Amino acid sequence: MNHNHITRRGFLRRSGTLSLATMAAPWAMNLAGMAQAAAAQASPTDDYKALICIFLHGGNDQGNTIVPVDDAGYALYARLRGALALPRAELLTRQLQPVTPSAVGTPTLALPQALDKLRPLFNDQRRLAVLLNMGPLHQPTTKAQFQQHSVSLPDKLFSHNDQQSVWQSYGAEGSTVGWGGLIGDAGLSRNAAASLTCVNLSGNAVYLAGQQAGQFMVNPLGPVPLKAKDAANLFGSQACVDAFRSLVSTEQPTVHRLAKEHSAIMRRAMNTNSQLIEQLASVSVPPARYVDGNALAQQLSTAARIIAAHGQLGGAGGVKRQVFFVSMGGFDLHDNFQGTHPVLLGKLAAAMAQLDNDLRDMGMLDQVTAFTASDFGRTLTSNGDGSDHGWGSHHFVLGGAVKGGQLYGTWPDVSDFEAGEHNIGQGRLLPTTSVDHLAAALAGWMGVTDPLALQQIAPHLANFPGASPLAGLF
Amino acid sequence: MEASEDVSPARRADRPLAVLAAAGVAAGLLAACTDEQLGPPTEDDAARFLGQASLACTPSDCADLTQLGYGAWLDKQFAMPLSTPLWNWARDMGFHAAQYKSTDVGVDNALWFRLVNASDVLRQRVVLALSEIFVVSVRNMPVPWGQMLCVSYWEMLEAHCFGNFRQLLEQVALSPAMGVYLSMSGSRKEDNSGRRPDENFARELLQLFTIGLVRLNLDGTPQLGANGEPVDTYNMADITGLARVFTGWNLDGYDGTTPGYTQRPMAFNQADHSTLDKSFLGTTIAGSTPGQQAFQQALDTIFAHPNVGSFIARQLIQRLTSSNPSGDYISRVARAFNDNGAGVRGDMQAVIRAVLMDGEARLRLSPLPDDEMGKLREPILRFLQWARVVKLQSSDGLWSVGDLSSPERLGQSPLRSPSVFNFFRPGYVPLNTTMAQQGLVAPEFQITDESSVIGYVNFLFGILPNGAANIGVDYSDWLPLASDPARLVDRINLLFTGRTLSAALVSDLSTALATLPLDLPDGAKRRVVTAMLTVLCSPEFLVQR
Repeated sequence: MNHNHITRRGFLRRSGTLSLATMAAPWAMNLAGMAQAAAAQASPTDDYKALICIFLHGGNDQGNTIVPVDDAGYALYARLRGALALPRAELLTRQLQPVTPSAVGTPTLALPQALDKLRPLFNDQRRLAVLLNMGPLHQPTTKAQFQQHSVSLPDKLFSHNDQQSVWQSYGAEGSTVGWGGLIGDAGLSRNAAASLTCVNLSGNAVYLAGQQAGQFMVNPLGPVPLKAKDAANLFGSQACVDAFRSLVSTEQPTVHRLAKEHSAIMRRAMNTNSQLIEQLASVSVPPARYVDGNALAQQLSTAARIIAAHGQLGGAGGVKRQVFFVSMGGFDLHDNFQGTHPVLLGKLAAAMAQLDNDLRDMGMLDQVTAFTASDFGRTLTSNGDGSDHGWGSHHFVLGGAVKGGQLYGTWPDVSDFEAGEHNIGQGRLLPTTSVDHLAAALAGWMGVTDPLALQQIAPHLANFPGASPLAGLF
Repeated sequence: MEASEDVSPARRADRPLAVLAAAGVAAGLLAACTDEQLGPPTEDDAARFLGQASLACTPSDCADLTQLGYGAWLDKQFAMPLSTPLWNWARDMGFHAAQYKSTDVGVDNALWFRLVNASDVLRQRVVLALSEIFVVSVRNMPVPWGQMLCVSYWEMLEAHCFGNFRQLLEQVALSPAMGVYLSMSGSRKEDNSGRRPDENFARELLQLFTIGLVRLNLDGTPQLGANGEPVDTYNMADITGLARVFTGWNLDGYDGTTPGYTQRPMAFNQADHSTLDKSFLGTTIAGSTPGQQAFQQALDTIFAHPNVGSFIARQLIQRLTSSNPSGDYISRVARAFNDNGAGVRGDMQAVIRAVLMDGEARLRLSPLPDDEMGKLREPILRFLQWARVVKLQSSDGLWSVGDLSSPERLGQSPLRSPSVFNFFRPGYVPLNTTMAQQGLVAPEFQITDESSVIGYVNFLFGILPNGAANIGVDYSDWLPLASDPARLVDRINLLFTGRTLSAALVSDLSTALATLPLDLPDGAKRRVVTAMLTVLCSPEFLVQR
C-alpha cells in the first residue's frame, strides 16, 4: 500500500484516497435511479423527518456573516471592525429581503459575497431562515447581570471545547447526553434500524448521544467494508478470519472495561456497516458538485444518500426519524481572517446549496431541516488581522418546512466599542435567543411531544417568559 | 511464566504486595517506589514498563531494562545525548527547498524517521506526550515552510523536555511554530482605531498549557467555592490583561524567502508592545515595564500558580500510564513537580520519575478497581510497537511513511492535530458507555468510532505484510518462531503487552495459526503477519494495563 507522502497544503482530513482502491461499487451517477428510489420512499404516507446539525468548529465570526448595509448600520460596522470590514460595494447588491418587514431598529442586512449560494434560498425560495444573536443562556440575561455574574450563566464561556459541548448538550466538556441524541431517543421506536437513528459523519460529538440512542459514525466517503471478513485477506484461512472476528469483537466478560467498549464499537461497525453498504449501493444522488476540497459537502453528500435510503434501512418500514451531525473546522480566526473567512463561508454555502439541490431532486425538501451551530461568535473589533472569542452569534436554518426568508430574534444593540445593551466588550454579543429556543423548535417539528423529553431537550425554556423568538420557524 | 498460565490480576498483585509488605511499606504510599522496593524487573515487568516509558518494546530494549533495572535505565535515558538535529536532517533530505515552501511536505518524514529509529526512547516518548499538551500542528501553519517550523518545534521539545518546566514554557512561548500557530507573532498593542491585542495565546496558555479552567486541589479534584461550585481560575478580563503582555513579538528575520526563521525564537520590538497596565491572575505589571521583562514576569507568575503541578501531573500520567489516575497518584506526582526533593520547582526529570515509578503504575497498587486503571493505547504507539519490532526501513532514506491521521489509517499522526485541543482531550468521556455513567474519562476514545476502527484494521492489513512504497519490513527474527505458534504468540504477548493477554486469546490464536500451512514459500511469514495483525487489532492489546 502506498502511503501518500506528498500532501498538499490544505489536504483535508478525510480525502483518504489510498483506501478507495478496494472499496465496493463506485457511486453510480444515476439521477433517474435515485429519483425513483426516493420517490418510492417519499410517498405522501411517508412520515420520515431528519435534522442535520452543521457544526462550525472554532467559533464562526457572525460580524461578517450577516452584515448591516444601510448608511448608519454600515458606518458603525466599518468603524468597529476596522481592518476586517467588508467593502460596502460588495454588500449593496447582496441585501436580504425578508418576507415581512423587520423589527424597528433592525438595520438593512446583507450576506457577504462568499455566501452568494445561500442568498436565493433566503430571498427567492424562502427555505433559509436567519437566527439573530443566538447562544447558550440559562435565562434572559442583561449586561449588568453578566458583568456582575448575578445570574446563572453557561459554564466556561469562551472556552472552545466547553462551548462546543454546551451548545450540543447544555453542559461543559465531559457532558454525556446531547439534545440531538434526546430527539433521536424520541424517534427510536419508529426506526427498524435503531443503530442508525443518530448518524455522525464527522468526529465524536456529544450532540448525538442520547440516553438510549447512540451515535453511529459513518465515513464521509461512505461506509467502508472491513478487509478482515474476507478470507482472501487472511491468506485464505477461514479459521483465521473467524478467530480474528471473534477476538476484535470479544464479548468475554473478564476483559478490561475499555476493551469491552472498544469491542462494542467494533461489533456495531461490523454489524451495521455491511448492511449500510448494501442498502446504499442502489442509491445515489446527483454528481456531488462541490465535494472537491470541501469536506462538509462530502459529508452532506453521504448524508443525502443515507436519507434517500431511509425506507430500506434495517428492513421493512425503514427509519422514520434521524439526526445527523456534520462539521467543518477552521473558524477560530484570530489571524489570517481576511483571506480565510470568505473561503470557509464559501464552502459552507456550497455545501448547503448542494444539500438543498439533492433534497429537491429527491422530492424530500420538506422532510429535512439543517441548521448551523458553532462554539460561539466573535468580537466585532479586530486584533489587526483577526477577531477573538465572543458568545452570541447568527445562524442559519434551512429546509422546505422552514418559514424561510425571515429574520428571527433581535438584532443586537452594539453602539460603540464597549457600549450597547448586548455588547459585553469589544462587540462580543450577549445573546437574546437561547439554544433552548432552537432545540425546542426543532424537537417540535420532529414530532417530540413527551413533556419530560422536551424538558430535557430545552431545559431552560421555562425561564424565558413570553413567546419564543422562533415560534414561527416552522 | 508459561503462556498458558492464568495471569489474572489477583495472582500478579500477590507478588509485589508481599515484596512491599516485606519492605515495611505502608498501604498509603507517600512517594514513588524505589528499585529496592520493586526488586529487579522480570521480562514481563520490563515490557510493561517500556509500554509506559518508551515508544515500543523490542527484544533488546527488554533485555537492556532487565539487566539495568528501572533506576539505572532511567538515569541512562536522562543522560542520553540528543540525536541528529532533526531540522538539519530535513534540510539534508531537501525538504527546506523552495518547491516545498508552500506545502507541508517533510514534517511526516522527519517525525517518522525520528520515532522509528531513535534510541533516546524515553525522551521521544516524553516529547510525544508534550506535543499533545503544548500542541502545534502543521495543519494550521499558513506560512512558508510550515513543515520546517514543526520540525524545529519537535527539536526544541527534545532539548528541553528533561530540564525545568519554567524554561520549557518559555521555549514553547517563543518558538516560531507556536508564534504562528496561536498567533502571538505579530500581535500588536491597542490603537485608536479599536484594534486590540490578539488573545489567542494568552487564553490557550492558561487553559491548555498551565493552569486549566478551575482551581485544583493537589489531587487534581476541583476546589469548590462557597456555593459548592468549582472556582474559575481566570475570567475574560484576565485574558485581556495577559494578552497585552504578548505584544511586540514577531518571527525573527522572516521575509518569506528562506526557511532560516523557522529555527530562531521570536524577536521582540518594544514599539509594538502594549503600554497599558497588564492585570491578570491577581497581579499587575505596570505599563511602563519593558516588554521582555513583562514577558518574564508573566511566565514567572503563571509558573508559580498552585494549579500547575496537578494540572501537568494528571496529563503526563494520562499520556504515559493511566487515563483515570487516583487522586493519590496525582498528588504524588504534583508534589514532585512542586519540589523535586532539593527545593526545586518544575524539575521535569523528577516529575517523569514520579509518573513511571509510582506504585499505581508499577504494581497497580491503587484504590481503584483493576479495570479502571490503564488506558487505550494511542494509535501512534500501536504503530510504533510493530514498526520497531520489524525494524522498519526506508529504502530511499526519505522515511515516506506519510500522514497517518485520516480515519482510513491510524486516525492520528504526530504534529497533525486538527486543532490546539489535540486529537483527544484529557477530559473526554466516551459516549453511551458505562464510563459515561460513572464519570470516568478515556481520552483516546475521542478518535475511536465505528469508522476509525474499520480504518485502523484495514490500514494494518495493508501495511503489515510488506510495508509500503520504499518502506520495508524485516520479519527475519520472527520466522523461526512460526513453526511453534504457541511460542510465536507468547513472544508477541511479551513484547507487545508484557504478557497481559488472556489465556483464551493466546490459545485461540495459536490454534488458528496452526491452520496456516508452513510448506508455502512465505508460509512462515504468513503465520507471523497473521499473529501480529490479530494481536494489534485485539481489544486486549489495545488496552494498556
